[in-house]
Amino acid sequence: MFHISSQKKYWTFDNEESLEQLRCEANQKYRNKMLASGKPGVSDAVFLEAHEENVLFRHYEKRLLDFCNAFKPVMPKSVVGTAIMYFRRFYLNNSLMEYHPRTIMLICAYLSCKVDEFNVSSTQFVGNLVQESAAGQERALEQILEYELLLIQQLNFHLVVHTPYRPMEGLLIDIKTRYPLLENPESLRKSVDDFLTRVTLTDSGLLFPPSQIAMTAILNSASRAGLSMESYLTECMGLKEDKETLLKMYDAMRRIKSLMKKYELPKPDEVNAYKVKLERVHADFGTNSNMKRKRGYEDDDHVAKEPRMTEEVSETTYILATSASTFHVINSLLCFLGGVDG
Amino acid sequence: MRWEWSEVREMDDQGCPRCKTTKYRNPSLKLMVNVCGHTLCESCVDMLFVRGSGNCVQCDTPLRKSNFRVQLFEDPAVDKEVEIRKKVLKIYNKRDFDFSNLREYNDYLERVEEIVYNLTNNLEVEGTKQIMEAYQRENRDIIQKNKAKLTREQEELEELLLLEQQGNEQRRLETLQEEQRQLQAKRKSKQALLDELERSHVPATILLAQHKDRAAQLETQIEKQKQVVKTTIFSTGIPMGQTVSLLTVNRLEEVLYHYQPIHMHTYGPPVPELEQLGRLGYLNHVRTAQPQDMAGGYNSGLACHRAIQDAFSGLFHPLG
Repeated sequence: MFHISSQKKYWTFDNEESLEQLRCEANQKYRNKMLASGKPGVSDAVFLEAHEENVLFRHYEKRLLDFCNAFKPVMPKSVVGTAIMYFRRFYLNNSLMEYHPRTIMLICAYLSCKVDEFNVSSTQFVGNLVQESAAGQERALEQILEYELLLIQQLNFHLVVHTPYRPMEGLLIDIKTRYPLLENPESLRKSVDDFLTRVTLTDSGLLFPPSQIAMTAILNSASRAGLSMESYLTECMGLKEDKETLLKMYDAMRRIKSLMKKYELPKPDEVNAYKVKLERVHADFGTNSNMKRKRGYEDDDHVAKEPRMTEEVSETTYILATSASTFHVINSLLCFLGGVDG
Repeated sequence: MRWEWSEVREMDDQGCPRCKTTKYRNPSLKLMVNVCGHTLCESCVDMLFVRGSGNCVQCDTPLRKSNFRVQLFEDPAVDKEVEIRKKVLKIYNKRDFDFSNLREYNDYLERVEEIVYNLTNNLEVEGTKQIMEAYQRENRDIIQKNKAKLTREQEELEELLLLEQQGNEQRRLETLQEEQRQLQAKRKSKQALLDELERSHVPATILLAQHKDRAAQLETQIEKQKQVVKTTIFSTGIPMGQTVSLLTVNRLEEVLYHYQPIHMHTYGPPVPELEQLGRLGYLNHVRTAQPQDMAGGYNSGLACHRAIQDAFSGLFHPLG
């Protein structure tokens, strides 16, 4: 239950500012680490700013959502919600420059399938990466398995995520049972679903309990459809006397709605610009070769494949970047090499 | 005879250092230890000491065949020490009441241990032997007295053992005699029956009935006799009827445990109980359970209850 969950204790924050601060700190920590390491070519301009990271984060988050929606067999919504929450939590304490989001997003989906008991074998999972060849899929799988433990660790081993989908169902049942004023709650379902999908792309999951988010979704949809549901809160929830809690509820709902409004899809040219920078950082300072994996009975071929791939990418990007070329050329070539990316 | 695996391993470990035969290969192999502490199997002893005396294989000390004893302990050094200790204690045989206070007794024991240690590990053998001889000369009469006492005690022990054995024998004989008597009585009654059947004019069935009665009576008599054997002592040796003082056990008074139901703060409106869901009409809005679901123990109330719980949990949570 949410009220005794680790989500409530450790992963629910007070306001958006604290979240912003955590992200800035993660960014700063990475910068300091790189600056202190004294590698060649390190300077402040090379690194991404916090707001640039934000843009890229939203971009990759959207891609994760698309990946999950295109997943075969059909992924239940709670799995999708959990995956996005993992992604969000991971990048709360880590910088995008340190761990490339393209890998982390796949791992989040993979882990979320496991945790939510949506059983997909690993081969089936990478089979969904339709753009890759079989070898590419296998490489992706290796990467996933490599970083999986890291993800779990960065989540502080708090793997259970409470998404708003079940509370939404519960509230619908409750409305149908106790609130006959609203004639057909099922008609609201589609817009509620839509709302909830949009809300997962915001920071609301880290700020509000899922039941409040679900309540917001339902009340919002009802008001959009022109149906009045004010008395639900006062009568059925027994909040007629308790004005304070009622006010807090309204306040929370307002904040959720404002967060939703603030969200906007990232602009493509911004995304591309920052992506170049990100690839540069990863190529130059990528720590892939440092990942010491203890997989005793696998041969070393698999390990060797990893650094070679990044070196290829780095060389070609470097060559291309130094020569006079346009954005489009870079973009298309990155697509060609990166595979999953672009 | 089946050996345990651990025993098998042990048997394989120990072996004669010369011929390398182990107990594993020859289970009846006996290892012999001599005064120098080295072991040899029986066959090797016979072979090497055919003349009666020779040198040890490992340490080259002159040994006699008669000094070989069957090894009792796994480690031959222990056997050696045991032998030395026996010899030393023959001389140093003072007892605790020979000393005026505990300190002296402990000092004496310490000296004895030192001597045994030195002799076992071949440290200062000469010096130790001299000390022993000196002690022997000084305390000759005490040694004699203690020896006599020891023999007397041993004799007493032996007497007790003998008495016990005799008691056992007697009891055995008695039970045997009882059985004999019973058998005889049975035979007599059978014989009597046959005689009566021959002589008497009473019909046979009545005679048989009478005989049976008598046999039953005999049986009960025998039973009673068996029970008459009085028990005078408990199996632990405490004689019956002796008052045993039981120390009063302290009663521990603890506070009685009071059950207090757990109260959990859900930060939300109260959730109806699982049992009430049907009555309150919630179940109408939940998908009914299929027979294959119900087989596992699932019912729609469970899903409904969980959904409601999740919906209400944290609804009033004062965040931000």
